[in-house]
Amino acid sequence: MTLLDIKNLNLSMRSFEGETQILHGIDLKVERGEIWGMVGETGSGKSLTGLSVSRLIPPATGRYLAGSIEFEGRDVLKAGEKEMRALRGRKIGMIFQDPTTNLNPVFRIGTQLVDVALHAGHADPTVLGLEPGASSRDLKKAAKRVAVEMLDKVGIPKAAERIHDYPHQFSGGMRQRVLIAMAMIGKPDLLIADEPTTALDVSVQAQILKLIHDLVAERNIGVLMITHNLGVVAQICSHVAVMYRGRILERGLVTDVLKKPSHVYTQALLNSIPTAHTKRGELRGLGGVMPEVQ
Amino acid sequence: MILYTLRRLILLIPMLIGLTMIVFAIARLLPGDPVALAAGPNATPDVIESVRQEFGLDKSLPQQYWAYVTGLVQGDWGVSIFTRRPVFEDIMTFLPATLELVAAAMLIAIVLGIPLGLAAAVYRNGVVDYLTRTVALGGIAMPRFFLGLLLQLMFVSWLDILPLSGRFPLIEIPPEGPTGIYTIDSIVAGDWYSLTIALQHLALPAFAMSLSPLATIMRMMRASTIEVLQQDFVMTERALGISNTKILFKYVLKNAMTSTLTVIGLYVSWLLGGTVLVETVFDWPGLGLYATQAILSQDFMPVIGVTLVIAMIYLVTMLIVDLLYGVFNPRVRYT
Amino acid sequence: MTSTPTTLPKRDQSARLENWARAFYRFRQSWLSVIGLAIVVMLVAVALFAPLIVPHPEHVAGGTNTAARFTAPGADFWFGTNALGQDVFSLVLVGSQVSLFSGLAVVIIAIVVGGLVGAIAGYFGGWIDEILMRITDLLLTIPSLILAMAVAAALGTGVTNMIIAIAITWWPAYARLVRGEVIGKKEEQFITAAKALGASWPRILGRHILPNIMSPIIVKASLDMGFAVLTVASLGFVGIGVKAPTPEWGTLLSVARADMPDYWWTAVFPGCAIFLAVLAFNLLGDGLRDVMDPKARR
Repeated sequence: MTLLDIKNLNLSMRSFEGETQILHGIDLKVERGEIWGMVGETGSGKSLTGLSVSRLIPPATGRYLAGSIEFEGRDVLKAGEKEMRALRGRKIGMIFQDPTTNLNPVFRIGTQLVDVALHAGHADPTVLGLEPGASSRDLKKAAKRVAVEMLDKVGIPKAAERIHDYPHQFSGGMRQRVLIAMAMIGKPDLLIADEPTTALDVSVQAQILKLIHDLVAERNIGVLMITHNLGVVAQICSHVAVMYRGRILERGLVTDVLKKPSHVYTQALLNSIPTAHTKRGELRGLGGVMPEVQ
Repeated sequence: MILYTLRRLILLIPMLIGLTMIVFAIARLLPGDPVALAAGPNATPDVIESVRQEFGLDKSLPQQYWAYVTGLVQGDWGVSIFTRRPVFEDIMTFLPATLELVAAAMLIAIVLGIPLGLAAAVYRNGVVDYLTRTVALGGIAMPRFFLGLLLQLMFVSWLDILPLSGRFPLIEIPPEGPTGIYTIDSIVAGDWYSLTIALQHLALPAFAMSLSPLATIMRMMRASTIEVLQQDFVMTERALGISNTKILFKYVLKNAMTSTLTVIGLYVSWLLGGTVLVETVFDWPGLGLYATQAILSQDFMPVIGVTLVIAMIYLVTMLIVDLLYGVFNPRVRYT
Repeated sequence: MTSTPTTLPKRDQSARLENWARAFYRFRQSWLSVIGLAIVVMLVAVALFAPLIVPHPEHVAGGTNTAARFTAPGADFWFGTNALGQDVFSLVLVGSQVSLFSGLAVVIIAIVVGGLVGAIAGYFGGWIDEILMRITDLLLTIPSLILAMAVAAALGTGVTNMIIAIAITWWPAYARLVRGEVIGKKEEQFITAAKALGASWPRILGRHILPNIMSPIIVKASLDMGFAVLTVASLGFVGIGVKAPTPEWGTLLSVARADMPDYWWTAVFPGCAIFLAVLAFNLLGDGLRDVMDPKARR
């Protein structure tokens, strides 16, 4: 069964300027073991595609005009809120861009990690290494143990102690590791990572990408990596989809698309990356503007 | 944190010295002759002069200030020219009544304000939201003394279920106790009859006083909850399957409390300074009425005393708020 | 439709126009502020034309009519009459003069004094800042109503004295506000540029910084107008402030207390006038804040 199958997704968003259609017929299939990179400029609709998979766009502002998002064969756009909650954190993990704002500042990181683990454990105790039907006391104990293990796994030194620390006591890179641990603690089958390295130092970026890559390889899960950075795509993705103004212009294996881009826009995007061989004055920006999304 | 508290307490001392200087200066620089007022219209110049000497008003300003401050430290807060009683004793008599009133009002405001503000933020543009916003708008604009009069009109004149004014009926004996706060003293003594009477008298003035802080706390709580709900971490928590109830009552509430806490602290002093209005309406024998009488007869010492007490309570409240702030917000460092 | 146009649409709206559109959107959203503005305009009109439109100007001047005392509200006396037989409607209308005028005066004095102190403290920093702000902080800890009462009582009754008394307790808040804003602005490029061109400090403060920090001051002032009206009425209510025969809402209410509950109209109408005025200024201030200072939106 296909892990994630997005068919003809059309989404419009409401703001005070009126309703604007953001996604125009997105089609995308993600299988286990594939790391899909979604590239495009700010406002091209790539983040909203990611949020749609977990159905996190508030119904008051976003409206699906057509299409379906099938996760393991079930259409999430037709699922109830309870059903969605069972998927979130357990079947679908998410990582967002800014590690400074995505951790709750007034709680210990352990509290947040354990809560996610507990949620996943309630749905499926085996995630925490327990038999089905385990008591809630056992679940709590196991959640704490697994939280420390997971922190250790994402490379936080002295995980058993640091679990009692607050987010502000960690560096940006370490915080993103904590968020990755939170996203992966429920042993999800699909990971959606929205610009996971954009807010980080270049030196830290590579470490985080390697961490995600290793975890994915170990657990054989599917990944939707949303980024505007073709360098990131080239480093860890197996496939890439290029988005522009709510449409996927071209898709395929990373090696094919980056070497022989067939679309003018992809070529322009590739040309806009400065390399060591770029001469002064040769660097190109892209013309035009994105439609505004609030 | 203990060190921080100690340092803050020590820092209070220069604040208090500055405070006494300013209050004393204001009181003495103002025109008006309390001695002439106190001695009466028929007093001869000799009598006025002797009264002046009796209260040390014939000395120079720095001398008077020095005498006052040294007295303060020893518990001698001067003597009221009018009641001829030590100001410190007077204040200790009237302070519990005012504290009882302010505490009751704040309790009502907090117990109602926080849940209502939270509910308004969650059910934005719903019934609760419109209700709380209307109450909030009206509550801030409603003069406490006018609200007090309206409450008297409704609950005393029309419904006749609550006493008009005062703190305890003259024919009854108020509960005796260590605090002087009737509700607490009667609970300590297990005297439920007195407690009922005390609460009946407290209800209307406390409610009249609570509306403004209630409105502000509700507004603040609503606004900060809405702000917190838009934070990135709420999205992360939702995306990882944590239930909305848990997100709201655990993760959002603690964040939203930090800004509300400051408002609560500020209101304690605001209410203390403004009790005079409600005390006038309900003949509540507290600091406000005492200060008003002193002001009307230009009796310096009680005014200075009351002002200092309220300012001190304010400073201590703000210290407590700052310490509590650290409980809600671990990013605060006590250095 | 997968082809991409090679030329992309240009941005057709200027940023400024968009800002105005957003501001207008915010104002339209809070229709309450429009109501607030309407009531404020009405109050100002009433205050200006009260002497011309009141039905019983002789009562405003202190005249009495004991034959008609405690007449209930009706066609002759819309708000009824008080213990002296005076028309409450006339008194309330003229009462708006004292309230609005004193409120405005208090806020203006507080802005001028507080603004000056805050601007100097913020601009020069160092020990000047230290001394001025310590005094300001100390004044902020003193209960303002008691201080205002004490000062007003010592100075004696009268509108001017009352205004001075309240303003003494109000300027520190503006000093804090202006100081913070000045500190925020003085490091900006255009100030450095003005300094480099040899502008003097009063000029830099007055011509370059002040116009840039007006928004928060105006917002605070409009909110404070309501509270100033409330404070004026409070002083009147406790018996310190404007004395009869000058009609003032708080004093009217205070006098009427003796006639409660039988002659409720003598108290209820002045009370409602205070409520309405404070409410209107609050609504207006909220609306202005949403438009002028969206970041501080609460």
